[in-house]
Amino acid sequence: MLTAGPQRTVQVRWRLSGLARSLVTLALAALAIAVITRRTEFAGLAAPALLVLIPRQSSRPDAVGVRLAEGASRLTEGEQGTVLARIAGHDQGTTRLRLHPAAWILAGPAAPGADGWHRLPFRAERWGLRPIGTLEVILNDRWRLAEARLLVGLPQVTCLPQPARLDSLVVLGKLSARLGEHAARSPGEGIEFAGIREFVPGDRQRRINWPATTRRGTIQLNTFAAERAQVTVILLDLRFDVGPPGLSTADLAVRAAAGLAAAYLAARDRVGLISFGRQLRWISPAGGRRQADRIMNMIAIDSGDGEPLAAVSRLPQAALPPGALIIVVSPLLSLRLVESLRELRERGFATIVIDVLCAEPDVGSGLIRSRDRAAARLARRLWRMEQDAIRFSLRELGIPVVWWDGRSGLDETLAPYTRRVLVNRA
Amino acid sequence: MRAYARARPAFAVIALVAGTVLWAALPASGAGPGSRAVLIVASLCGALTVARLLTDPAASGAGGLRAGPGAGFGRRLWTSVRAIPWAEGTTVAVLGLEALHPSRPWHTVVLGVAMIGFLLALHLAETDAGPAVLRPQLPLLAAGLGLAVLSVGAAALPAAGQGSGWLAAIAAVAALLVAGLALPV
Repeated sequence: MLTAGPQRTVQVRWRLSGLARSLVTLALAALAIAVITRRTEFAGLAAPALLVLIPRQSSRPDAVGVRLAEGASRLTEGEQGTVLARIAGHDQGTTRLRLHPAAWILAGPAAPGADGWHRLPFRAERWGLRPIGTLEVILNDRWRLAEARLLVGLPQVTCLPQPARLDSLVVLGKLSARLGEHAARSPGEGIEFAGIREFVPGDRQRRINWPATTRRGTIQLNTFAAERAQVTVILLDLRFDVGPPGLSTADLAVRAAAGLAAAYLAARDRVGLISFGRQLRWISPAGGRRQADRIMNMIAIDSGDGEPLAAVSRLPQAALPPGALIIVVSPLLSLRLVESLRELRERGFATIVIDVLCAEPDVGSGLIRSRDRAAARLARRLWRMEQDAIRFSLRELGIPVVWWDGRSGLDETLAPYTRRVLVNRA
Repeated sequence: MRAYARARPAFAVIALVAGTVLWAALPASGAGPGSRAVLIVASLCGALTVARLLTDPAASGAGGLRAGPGAGFGRRLWTSVRAIPWAEGTTVAVLGLEALHPSRPWHTVVLGVAMIGFLLALHLAETDAGPAVLRPQLPLLAAGLGLAVLSVGAAALPAAGQGSGWLAAIAAVAALLVAGLALPV
């Protein structure tokens, strides 16, 4: 594995090129036929190949310098990255580079630059910590009769999920005391008009509403809504991953979580994340660019530094400040998570579930007998009823469940809750 | 679009491989026994040479995750088939086909020129290089073609058939030279 940095010297082992092998075959076959059939013209046929092979012993370097430049180490799904590589110490011949991509990496054609750097574009197709692949360096001598191949392992790249589009936010009726950008119910110093009231000494004169003052005969004042920040905690359920790779429940969940985090952080809210996967990991709510990076890293990379799920009895208190909005992104296949949601609701948290279940169990696809197929249909029906029951029980508890297919933005999915405030009982 | 870009330099290879096989096979009436089998082998090797050239081994790396087990087996099989040097097979088969015909020196030398052209075109297409990279080899190729023409003259001499002894000696020396050039890497 070669990482970006200074030039490294790599030993080169030369061998016959494909052209040289073909010419040797042509010459030997023609000479053999010439001797066997006693036909002089076949010996003449071997002559051009024989002469072209003569300069093969010219000098070739025993080692070349390989250097990789620091490219983008973080990409978003579908975004193009570039590997920059430079080969030194091989000026006489030609150099070709080829990227052999790893899984979920699409490689483009290599392009040598005028500055001596070769640019190899690639695109990461799925989120996660992904190896880019292997860089193959093919060296040819001046006569193209000798060839050397070097294989260089490339570093990994962090591919962030493509955030789901979300323009309208779900906002709670009761917000925290921190200043923010959401209009609260209480009057304050914001810019959203809330109403008018009578002037009292000490009020600012610039807020006098002159038309209302003229109508009522007493001095009337504009009042504005206070602007407060919301604390939002995203509960990302990666416990089970079903569905086709690239469009599985985990893929949809991380894209939704990335979109939610980006949208709420852009609105200057404090956002936290609880990742409910192989381990329980969390980031306490905070705001700012650094928090966005931390959340995206936790979503994209399973660092394995959390607490084992078996050792955790309940969701961490530190990640769930009172009055927070909990947005759960889950396929709702884990009964333990469903129990945790009930507990959250009992503790008074306003909770909304984005259901990303997009697949059904593959039961009965290979069955031939009609009796087996009927049993499989029954099993699938039971499974669907159980899923419906889970969602129904959550709705009965006051936890809205909305379904997202991963194709459209989250705005349509969350529309019923972005047009009115969500009431929390805390 | 990318497949077309790869196919464009391959047109020359397709034309040359088809031309050499046909040239070596003609005339069909005068060929010795077994020429039909050798013609089939030459055609098969030529077709697989072109198929190997047109398929990109790196292209199947990324999207293969969604493919089924059948596609995986097919890809492994094609990777194994690709590893066989079909161009060398074509060369030997075409020379064998030519040898099965009666002596015709000019015909053989033209075939040799076409064979060299086919091998050079195949190399250029495989390495995505332009003809300019072969400029250093032009004098050697010209000298080789001159020797080939001389061999036609030698074959036309009345005593050429009796000179098989010196021909064998020269051929053995030339073969040793080829082996010496090829072996020490």
